[in-house]
Amino acid sequence: MTVLPPKGGIGVPTPLVDGIEKVTGRARYTADLRPADALAGAILRSPVSHGILRGVDTTAAEALPGVLAVVTGADCAVPFGVLPIARNEYPLARDRVRYRGEPIAAVAAVDDRTAAQALALIRADIAPLPAVFESAKARGPKAPLLHDDKPGNIEREVHQSFGDVEAGFAAAALVREGTFTFAEVNHVHLEPNATLAEYDPERDRLTLHTTTQVPYYVHLTVAQCLEVDTARIRVVKPFLGGGFGARTEALGFEVIAALLARKAGGTVFLPLSREDTFLTHRGRPQADITLKLGLTADGRLTACAATCVQRGGAYAGYGIITILYAGALLHGLYDIPAVTYDGWRVYTNLPPCGAMRGHGTVDMRAAFEALLDEMAADLGLDPFAVRRVNLLTAPATTLMGQKVLSNGLAECLDWVERASGWHKRRGSLPPGRGLGMACSHYVSGTSKPKHWTGEPHAVINLKLDFDGAITILTGASDIGQGSSTVVAQVVGEVLGCDPGRLRVISSDSAVTPKDNGSYSSRVTFMVGNATIQAAESLKAILVEAAARRLDAAPDQIECLGETFRVAGIQDTGLSFGDVVREALIDTGTITVKGTFTCPVEFQGDKAIRGSAIGASMGFSYAAQVAECSVDPVTGRVTVHKLWVAADVGRAINPLAVEGQIQGAAWMGVGQALSEETNWRDGRGIATNLLDYRVPTTADSPEIEVHIVESLDPNGPFGAKEASEGPLAGSIAAIMNAVHDATGVRARALPLSPERVFELFAPNGA
Amino acid sequence: MTSMPRFRLHRPTSTADALAALADAPGSRPLAGGTALLVNIRYGLEAPPALVDLSAIPGLDGITVDEDTGALVLGASVTLARLAADPLVLDGWPVLARAAACVAGPTHREAATVAGNLCQDTRCVFVNQSEWWRAANGFCMKAGGETCHVVPKSDRCHAAYAGDLAPALLVLGASVEVLDGHGSRRHPLLDLFRADGRAHLALAPGALVTAVIVPPMHGAVAGYAKVRVRESIDFPLAGVAGLVRRDGDRMADVRIALTGVASAPVPVPGLDGLIGQPWAELAAANVSEAVGKVCIPLRTTAASPRYRRAVAMGSAVRLLGDLWSEAGSEESPV
Repeated sequence: MTVLPPKGGIGVPTPLVDGIEKVTGRARYTADLRPADALAGAILRSPVSHGILRGVDTTAAEALPGVLAVVTGADCAVPFGVLPIARNEYPLARDRVRYRGEPIAAVAAVDDRTAAQALALIRADIAPLPAVFESAKARGPKAPLLHDDKPGNIEREVHQSFGDVEAGFAAAALVREGTFTFAEVNHVHLEPNATLAEYDPERDRLTLHTTTQVPYYVHLTVAQCLEVDTARIRVVKPFLGGGFGARTEALGFEVIAALLARKAGGTVFLPLSREDTFLTHRGRPQADITLKLGLTADGRLTACAATCVQRGGAYAGYGIITILYAGALLHGLYDIPAVTYDGWRVYTNLPPCGAMRGHGTVDMRAAFEALLDEMAADLGLDPFAVRRVNLLTAPATTLMGQKVLSNGLAECLDWVERASGWHKRRGSLPPGRGLGMACSHYVSGTSKPKHWTGEPHAVINLKLDFDGAITILTGASDIGQGSSTVVAQVVGEVLGCDPGRLRVISSDSAVTPKDNGSYSSRVTFMVGNATIQAAESLKAILVEAAARRLDAAPDQIECLGETFRVAGIQDTGLSFGDVVREALIDTGTITVKGTFTCPVEFQGDKAIRGSAIGASMGFSYAAQVAECSVDPVTGRVTVHKLWVAADVGRAINPLAVEGQIQGAAWMGVGQALSEETNWRDGRGIATNLLDYRVPTTADSPEIEVHIVESLDPNGPFGAKEASEGPLAGSIAAIMNAVHDATGVRARALPLSPERVFELFAPNGA
Repeated sequence: MTSMPRFRLHRPTSTADALAALADAPGSRPLAGGTALLVNIRYGLEAPPALVDLSAIPGLDGITVDEDTGALVLGASVTLARLAADPLVLDGWPVLARAAACVAGPTHREAATVAGNLCQDTRCVFVNQSEWWRAANGFCMKAGGETCHVVPKSDRCHAAYAGDLAPALLVLGASVEVLDGHGSRRHPLLDLFRADGRAHLALAPGALVTAVIVPPMHGAVAGYAKVRVRESIDFPLAGVAGLVRRDGDRMADVRIALTGVASAPVPVPGLDGLIGQPWAELAAANVSEAVGKVCIPLRTTAASPRYRRAVAMGSAVRLLGDLWSEAGSEESPV
C-alpha cells in the first residue's frame, strides 16, 4: 500500500494560512479599511476619577460646521457587560463617572481636526466625589461606594472549602504562610482598538468591522444597546493584531461607533490611541494574595488555604469569573487533599479590568509555585522532587469536580530538568546567577458558555462546489493564534486532499456560522472537534458518490489522498474531481455542518457552587526552568534563558504551538520583570509604551520549547490548549531563579530594578 | 497621540537659508531625525508654525578628525547609528559610540542625530502625556499651566534632561559650534545648557548647533553607564559618564558627568582629591560622595528619586573601577 507523505495535515509544522498577507503587509486590519469619506469619530473622556455627571452641554459642538453627530449617555440607556448577571457599564457615562478616562461624549465629524475641535466645545458638568484607588481602602468603612447596590465595594465574594484543611495543616511537617502582591498588567496587543461602523439609513442596517476576539458578543451587545434587531447588524472581524483577552468582551467604543454612525446616518471610523486603549484596559487586576501550604517531610501537600483580593476597577466586566478562576485552578495541577479559597473582587475608581491570558489563575499560581519553592528549600528537598510527589495521576476528578483525563506533566518535568542541566548547574553558577523552576496549567476551553442558548459550543460549515474547492466557513476569530490554519489542517487531515483545495473564510456574521469567540483557549479544542465532524460528513458524501460511480458499497471504498477506489482491486480509481462531479449530480453545491457540544459531565459539578468556572474537557500542563542573573548595583534582573516543556495533548500545528508557548512564557517575563500599569491617584502614569515597560527584543531571552503529547481522549486528535498554561510558570520560575541568584525572596511583582534594589537594601540600609 | 497640527515645512539647502527660515516665523524649530520633536508635537506640547528640515544642507553630516589638533569633529546631522559604528569614533572615542548605541532603539538611531540628541527637550512624567491627560491634571508650567507638579512651590520647571551623549561629551571636554545671524561661535558644551526644564538650552531663538568638537583622549579611557529598566527604548533613569587617565598606579585625571537627574547634564565636581591617588576603597567612597552631592533627582519619572540617586552613585563607582582596570590593561604593554 502506498504511504502518502503528510501534506499539511495535522502534526506537520505549517506556516499560518494567512501568514503571507501579514509578512508582506497586504493584510488589512480595521484601521486599513477606513474609506476616504468616512466620518472621523472621537471620544471625550472624564477628567476626574469619580463624580456626579450633572449634565453634558453639547450645543456648541453640535453647532460647529462639519460635525454630523454628537452622542452622550442620553443616547444609550442600556448598560452592557459580558456577563448577563453583571451589566453595569454604559458606553457613555450616565449620571456618574467612575474612573478618569471614562467616555462621556463622542462626536462624528468630517475630519479628525473638526472632531477634536468639537470635543473641546463640549462642557461636562461634573461634581467630584471622593475616589478610591486601592482594594483595602475601597473595602474600608468610610470608602465612597461606586455602585449603590454593592456594599463595601465588593462585586463578588467567593468562599470555597474542600476537605479538612485544619487536619491537613496539623498533619504537615512544615506549614508556611506567604503574602504576595502582583501589579496590574495590560495585554499590550500591538494593534490599538478601532471600529469602522457603516450605517445604511435607507435600510436601517449596520455593519461593523472591529478589533475583537468575540464578534458574536459584539453583535449581541450592539443590538442590545442600540435596541435594534440582531438581523439588521453584521459584524466582521478583519485581520487582528493580537488580543490576549483584551477583546474577549464587547467594549464601549464599539457601541459608541455604532451610535455615532446611526446618528450621523453614515460611516464612522473610530480609532483609539494607545492611551485610549490603556484606558479601555481589561487587563489582569492588581492582586493581593495570601497563601498557606502544608507539606509533609517528603514534600507531600497536605492542605492549601488561599485568599485573593482583586482590584477590579470601576465596572463588572469579567470580574466574577476572574475571582472564581483564581480559586478554581488551585485544583488540577497537584493532588491536594484539602483546599480552601476566599476571594473578593473589589470596585475601585480605575479603568475596568478583564480577562487576560491565563485568566484569573496566573498570579495565584505564581504565588503558589514561589511558596512551594521556599518550603522545599526549608525541608531540604529538590524543587523537582516536590512537584513529582504531588503529581495528579490521570484520570482524576479534582475536589472541585474537574475531570483530568490526560496529564503529561511528569514528562514536562523530566525534559526541563535535563535540558537545563539542573542538577549539574544549580548551585555552581557564578555569583548573582541562578536557576529556578515552576509548573502551571490551564483549561482547554470553558465548558459552560457565558450566555446559555442551548446551542452547540461550536459550529462549522464546509462548502464544496463545482470547482472542487472546499470553503471552510468558521466563526472562530483568528487573532494571530492560528485558528484558521488549524481548521484547514483538520479538514485536510480528514479528507486527505490537497491543501490547495482549501480556503478559510472566518468571522463575518453574514457568511460564517456563529462562534462564541476566541477566549479561554477553547477554539482548537471545540472548533477543532466540530471541524472533524464536518469533514467526516463531507468525506462520507464523497465516499458514497465514489461507491455509486464504481458500483461498490461505501465501505469498500478506500481513499488514498485524492484517489478513491475499491479496496483490493487493481484499478486506477477516481480522481477527486471525478468524485466531486458525481457527488454534485442532482444536489448541486454541497454544504455540510459540524458541531461540538461539551457533555454536561464536563460542565462542573452542580453540587459545587462556582464549579462551572475552571470546568473543562482537557487541561494543559507546563514545566519551566529560568536562568537569571541580577545586577548587584542596579538591581536589574536579566533572564538569560527559559526552558519550557508543555503538554498540549497533540500539536496539530507544531510550528504555531511552539510560537504560542514562547509567547506565553515571554509574556510571563514581562509581568515578572517590568510591566505594571501604574495609576497614580487615578492618573495613568504609564498609558504609553515608553512608561509601560513591555520587554523589547533586546530583553527577550532564548526560549527553548519542548512539546509533550499526552493525547487527550476528548481533544481533536488528542489536542489540548497550548498558549495560556505556560505563562504563570515562567513568572514563578523567574522569581525562584532570582532567589537562587541572590538569596532574596520576592513577594511583590514586577521585579523591577528598583524593587530588587529595595530587597538588597531595604529602606536604604 | 493625535495627528500633526498644521505647519509649514522648509527644506533649505544652506545654513543661511535655514537661519532665514527659522527667523521668518518665531517659534519655528529645526528638524533633524524628529524622533523626539515630532512625538512632542503630536502630544500637543508645542505647535511650531514651521519646521526647518536640515537634512538637505550639505556638509552637516561629516565625521572627521582635525589634522592639526587631533580633535574629532562631528557634524550636527550625523546619525546616532553612524556614530555608534564609525571606525574613527570606535578607534579614538569609543565612549561616544557606546553612548550613541544606548539611545532608544535601532530604528530611532537610524534617524536621530548628534545635535538632536544634545538639544532634545527635557522630560517629565507630568509633561510627556497627551493633551487630555495634561488638561485633566491642570496642565503644568512647562506647557500651558502655572505650577510644577514635581515641586509645586517651585518657580521653575524641573523636567529632566535625558540625552545620553551629553555626559559622555562633557567628560571628554567637548565644545559645540553654534551658528546664528551673527556668525559661528564655539562654546564649551556645558554652556549650551541651563538648569531650567522649560528652557534648558542657552541658544538664541533661531540659532543652530552645527558641529561638536571633541579633543583627543590622550591615553585616557572613558565609559558610559545607563541605568534603565529595559535594554532598549528607555530614556535613562540616571546616566553616568566617566573618564580616567592613569599614570602607573595613580590617577592623573578623573571626570564624571550625569544625565537624567536634573534639567541639564551635571558635571560632578570635587574629584580633584582623587588625582595622584590609586583606585581603592577610599577613592570609591569619594566618588560615591561626590556624585551623591550633586545628584538630586526629583519625581520626574515613575521610578523613585531615591533609587535613581543611589543607583547613580553605585554605577559611578563601578564605572570608575572598570575604567581604572581598563586603563591599567591598556597601559601595561607599553
